[in-house]
Amino acid sequence: MLDLITPLADYGFMRRALIAGLALSLAAPPLGVFLMLRGMSLIGDAMAHAILPGVALGFLMAGFSLPAMSLGGILSGLVVAGLAGGVSQMTGHREDSAMASFYLISLAAGVMLVSLGGSSVDLTHVLFGSILAVDTTALLLIAAVSTATVLLLAIMFRALVMECLDPLFLRGQGVRPGLIQGVFLGLVVINLTAGFQTLGTLMAVGLMMLPATAARFWSKRLEGLMGLAIVIAMLASTGGLLLSYHLDLPSGPSIILLAGIAYLLSALFGRYNSLLVRLRRRAAPLDTVRNGTSST
Amino acid sequence: MSRLRLDDLSLAQGARTVLEGLSGSFPDGAITALVGANGAGKSTLIQGIMGILPPLAGRIECDVPKERRAWLPQQLALDLSFPMSVEELVMTGSWPTRGALRGYRSSQYRQARAVMQRLGITHLSHRPLGELSGGQRQRALLGRTLMQEAELLLLDEPFANVDSDTVNVLIQVLRDMADQGSTIIVVLHDLEHLSRLADCVLTLTGGHAQWATPHEVLERHGAMDLTSQAPFAPLNLSDSSSCST
Repeated sequence: MLDLITPLADYGFMRRALIAGLALSLAAPPLGVFLMLRGMSLIGDAMAHAILPGVALGFLMAGFSLPAMSLGGILSGLVVAGLAGGVSQMTGHREDSAMASFYLISLAAGVMLVSLGGSSVDLTHVLFGSILAVDTTALLLIAAVSTATVLLLAIMFRALVMECLDPLFLRGQGVRPGLIQGVFLGLVVINLTAGFQTLGTLMAVGLMMLPATAARFWSKRLEGLMGLAIVIAMLASTGGLLLSYHLDLPSGPSIILLAGIAYLLSALFGRYNSLLVRLRRRAAPLDTVRNGTSST
Repeated sequence: MSRLRLDDLSLAQGARTVLEGLSGSFPDGAITALVGANGAGKSTLIQGIMGILPPLAGRIECDVPKERRAWLPQQLALDLSFPMSVEELVMTGSWPTRGALRGYRSSQYRQARAVMQRLGITHLSHRPLGELSGGQRQRALLGRTLMQEAELLLLDEPFANVDSDTVNVLIQVLRDMADQGSTIIVVLHDLEHLSRLADCVLTLTGGHAQWATPHEVLERHGAMDLTSQAPFAPLNLSDSSSCST
């Protein structure tokens, strides 16, 4: 058993990869929970594609320079989010249709840019990441993003909750929901950018959304959802790394597939609304309903 | 002196002017019913008073601090799938005064329990919002406004899809709040509710407002539903001394 986890102690690259994975697991899943609760689960996916042209431009201009690629990714993500919001407001169309259009354009533009300036190996690295090649610079960036995300989430937690539940209450208190939404989407973008180095632009969103959607089957409380999502993400990150080391598998897909397995198991056997619960469901006795002790 | 006054107010939704030239003041310690046909501008006026919709012209003067202005939305305006219990919803009423980071004090938990007891929802305190009936949800929402210790309370059709027991509880609580000095504005569609609740009536029709007493409105409309009377016939304001214009 110990042999399974000793690589994490023995090798520096594994320790760095683990810390990077845990840091991402601390910050990204709570964002995923809020995306899910706002009915914006696919927006994370769209934003993951939106950062690609910026990452590609950074790569073209400075090679595998993490600061350049990250900066490009952040700018590109924010520009696409702003354009989608702007087009939606000007045309009156739903924001998801504008976002879908821009992310497809972004994906094509990003792949085109990387193809023009690099090899298929470069493209694979950008699209799918390389968590085992995380250096100190990348680790610092990921840690900084994670810290900033947790702090900002704590500060805007109540506003985010109220924006989901009852936006007019928030506006009545003089808080502009657009500001909250903007900062929130900004956090999504910087987390996806921090994740692209380790998981790739296409899979960074996996660590954000899969733990959140899995947690929905286990808790009906917001704090429970976020806590569980973080735990699932951390287990998937650690397990995925070890799986990758022992079975010689790519690390990013291993991590995301483990998170995916957690989702599938939760959908089958979770405490709330899972397949098993639906099969076993019986009406609660009247006295428990009256006493408010029933649970579904 | 009223804490909420309208001065030649005009409000628009997009490019469409909805209300024009509204003036008057809402009496403190009283319940004002806001009535009118669908699309007459009731929700628009509430949005204006809450500061959500800026005036096209004129002014809304409100001396109630923002953290003491409460809003009870139509139930459909809430995301009922949000993972929150009744007690947590009631506690959110303290957020405007607690700010972003300050936690709850034990006295606030006691206050929330007292509020839930008053509204008859103590046994539901841990029940998720999505599992409540319409009446239970409305009681929980009113609990939030009580927790907020609202001095200005705006309610948008609070009795829609609500059982008669809940209506009685809501009316009693609103009356108590008004007696303690709160300014309450409630969108109503039902003459029976208006007769039981309102001290004053603001009728919106054709983009303009008319103040009246409940007695005048009831006399004019008899037992007919308020929404079926749109547009309202002009009201005689000669005896409207208790409601200001």
